[in-house]
Amino acid sequence: MSSEVKTKEKVNMDPKYLIKLAVTLCVTCVIVAAALGAVDNVTRGPIAEANRIATEKALSAVFPDVAAPEFPELELTDAMTSAASAAGATLENVYEVKDGGETAGYAVKIIASGSQGNIEMVVGVDAEGAVTGVSIVSNAETSGIGSKVMKNNPLPSGTGVLDQFIGKSAADGTLSVGSNVDAISGATVSSRGVTTGVNGAIAAAGAIG
Amino acid sequence: MNFGKQFKEGLITNNPVLVQVLGMCSTMAITTSFFNGLGMGLSVLVILTASNIVISAMRKVVPDKIRIAMFIVVIAGFVTCVDLLLKAFVPALSESLGVFIPLIVVNCIILGRAEAFSYKNGVLASAVDGICQGIGYTVVLIIMCVIRELLGAGTFGGGLLNNGDGIRLIPEQFPIGMLTFPVGGFLVLGCLIAAMQWALSKSKNKEESK
Repeated sequence: MSSEVKTKEKVNMDPKYLIKLAVTLCVTCVIVAAALGAVDNVTRGPIAEANRIATEKALSAVFPDVAAPEFPELELTDAMTSAASAAGATLENVYEVKDGGETAGYAVKIIASGSQGNIEMVVGVDAEGAVTGVSIVSNAETSGIGSKVMKNNPLPSGTGVLDQFIGKSAADGTLSVGSNVDAISGATVSSRGVTTGVNGAIAAAGAIG
Repeated sequence: MNFGKQFKEGLITNNPVLVQVLGMCSTMAITTSFFNGLGMGLSVLVILTASNIVISAMRKVVPDKIRIAMFIVVIAGFVTCVDLLLKAFVPALSESLGVFIPLIVVNCIILGRAEAFSYKNGVLASAVDGICQGIGYTVVLIIMCVIRELLGAGTFGGGLLNNGDGIRLIPEQFPIGMLTFPVGGFLVLGCLIAAMQWALSKSKNKEESK
């Protein structure tokens, strides 16, 4: 440790010294901020591109039957947001899925809490209100346990845990693990998280137009 | 300045994780797959070396009273750069390391080396120190990753090889899942520290008996 550090040293209140401290810190911060600005300039494009590709991949994944879909983003309405939050999930974006100019359904990007933080997922809902697919965008679930749900591992019945939601709609009532949804053994909380997201997405899609 | 001595210190006698016991949070949290350990280790190596160089270069103009604040500004700057670069060019790694990249700001290895070494030594020595300590950190992370991934998930090279699933070495029903939890991290780290201390004291005894 540096020998200059003394305890109970009287604070040097000399204004010149104080100004020197402030100026040194300020100049350093300005230099660092400028450097960060330069880096941001270089990385902004690639980051936006990477996000766009990830989102588009997740969106296409929930509408496998549409060959060349387009995804115009819809403006969120209060009805959509509150429908999702009533189901316990947070609505992020809603995209209309267009197949050659016609509306094939909606892709709902929604957040629900899992066992280790938020699970961000895209749920596809067709024009009749039935789920077409669930795809996970980001998660922090435990590797080897909750990650089995995220990776769509098969349930004992052979269906993938995410695939079991396909075809479910508001007519099935509120989905819940144990009654009309099966969980991966040991990963009940993660399975519940996804279920909450799907409920929110069905509700939000129902609130559109 | 002695590169060989500094290298030995960083890797063995003064290893940041096993001897100084610094940077525990990241060591526990991300050592679940080989790819994570390598990515985290290299990120820390780069940030540590860069911040060591800058802090050493400005050590004469930094007033003693605000040195810690200055260290943090410099370190946070480099961490943010690395975070942005990873997000832009290695999004898969950025995704799997998540919040632990921004958290390198408060990784005590970096602040610890700034205070203990680069604030008192020349630029070149500080750069070498950053590289050596960074390698020491990376090596320990990789060892922990390999052990935890092999015994906890039964795979090797998860996140990188075989479409990210890793190569399965142990059939799926046998691995000890607990090892991929934080508690497994503590167990593995404890065993590694014990092994390290044993080896160090053994070599010390040998030197003394000569």
